[in-house]
Amino acid sequence: MNRNNFLPHVALALVLILVAAFAGQVRNWQRNWHRRKHVEITIPPPRPAEPATAESAEVFVRFRPGVSEEKIQSITERLHDMVEDQTEAVSGLNLIEDEDGKDADTVIAEYSALPEVEYAEKVYKIQLEETGDRSEPVLPNDPRFSEQWALANDGQNGGTRGADIRAVGAWATTTGSNKVVVAVLDSGVDYTHPDLITNIWKRPEIIKEYEDRNLGTIDDIHGYNALDNDADPMDQNGHGTHCAGIIGAEGGNNEGITGVNWTVQIMPLKFMDANGSGTTKDAIEAINYVIDRRKAGVNVRIISASWGSTQKSRALEDVIKEAYEAGILFVAAAGNASVDNDKSPHYPSSYNVGNVISVAALDRNDQLTSFSNFGARTVHLGAPGKDILSTWLNHEFKMASGTSMATPVVAGVAGLMLSQNPNMSVDELRRHLLDSVDKLPALKTKVATGGRINAAKAVG
Amino acid sequence: MGALLKMTFTKEDAVERARRDLAARLSVNEDEIKEVSVEGADFPDMALGAAAGGEMSGQMITSGWRIRLTADGKSFEYRANPNQIRLFNYKGANYKI
Repeated sequence: MNRNNFLPHVALALVLILVAAFAGQVRNWQRNWHRRKHVEITIPPPRPAEPATAESAEVFVRFRPGVSEEKIQSITERLHDMVEDQTEAVSGLNLIEDEDGKDADTVIAEYSALPEVEYAEKVYKIQLEETGDRSEPVLPNDPRFSEQWALANDGQNGGTRGADIRAVGAWATTTGSNKVVVAVLDSGVDYTHPDLITNIWKRPEIIKEYEDRNLGTIDDIHGYNALDNDADPMDQNGHGTHCAGIIGAEGGNNEGITGVNWTVQIMPLKFMDANGSGTTKDAIEAINYVIDRRKAGVNVRIISASWGSTQKSRALEDVIKEAYEAGILFVAAAGNASVDNDKSPHYPSSYNVGNVISVAALDRNDQLTSFSNFGARTVHLGAPGKDILSTWLNHEFKMASGTSMATPVVAGVAGLMLSQNPNMSVDELRRHLLDSVDKLPALKTKVATGGRINAAKAVG
Repeated sequence: MGALLKMTFTKEDAVERARRDLAARLSVNEDEIKEVSVEGADFPDMALGAAAGGEMSGQMITSGWRIRLTADGKSFEYRANPNQIRLFNYKGANYKI
């Protein structure tokens, strides 16, 4: 090679090296991308196994104890195969790849006939599916899930099979997202409860602390306490903790119960005292906080409001309108006085504001409970609200009843919807929620939609 | 913390406090207050169905006691649970005791 040819050859070699390196990097990127995808996958129960459709037949062969590696090597060479992998945890188990075009059944037959072989079997494909593409039931392993008739009613304790919100069907599509924040405006939340702690909102560092014109800076790590004007929304009553668990007790953690959302961020807000009562002043302050956080960049899109009274407050109505303008859904309890809200309104559920959804309570037989308020115009839908098991103070669980319990069921379904379609406007979210009901004879003249929320329809 | 801490009453405590409260309101001696009945009850909300003016309450069915008293030929109803006592519909309003 003369001097004139040398430089072009070196340049060509460098180009080839770079191309090869780039191709390798592309494969790494692909592998990493697939790995990242897998991180987001929740593993459902395995589908019925199907044989893999690999181009070269691959089979698992387990050799009997005492068969040496050299012997295994000679067998595979004789059969024109190769050992592709050894499973260290199971002695003698080898993944064998055929190298001469035989199908898997033939390879298995060859190995099964050998005295050195304990067994040979196909490689079965176990399909991991992304949350949006499941067709099998997804059931949580939470030990008290069977008591949660609202989510899956098998007719337990005198209930009616199927009188539930079709949560299992919804979970085939989504089990929620930690990008969705749901504010629980209540007596606070026990944010240390083991079945809630993972799903409690924590202010991201990029979001500035809450600044109140009168109170100054509040380091709102886990929400806000409007009752005491501080950053600690710890629940002293239990009601807020119960509502939070219905929305988002962690699912699939082998602990207690599951929420409608297995994964979500609960923003605890406290405005009611240890007796479960509060004032409009503190409720307004807390809603103002939510609007502020939304504007600061927190993806808080839902307020769950399991409280009320018959007294109308213009100021409360106005701040709920402001929440509407900020794109926040306001789900409210219809009340427990067995009255018609069309004639005797209950607030805030009866405010005629575009983001308000008023929720009646149903029992385990898809009947309106004896205590629930109703209203063919002003109460929008029904949801399970009697004998509802959820989280409570002292890290316990408790059954409770009321439109208080029905409200977070609907707020939770809204959370699931946003996990699927994060860009839905508040109008779209509300309209789609109200369209996602199962019509029930018991509700035909009692609520505006005539039905009970169906989570599977809502996320479908 | 400024939140109201939970008190705990027995049923007997609640009846005693109700009698004392009514006697004071009516400006009569406690022995003029007669106990008609004390029975367990489920109230519609966490204010025991007796929310005071402007009060918002959790809409959860809450167990407690309905205490019926009489004085001077008139009937009065108190509602209580281990955490609170309320006078229901006294001259058209409810009161936290």
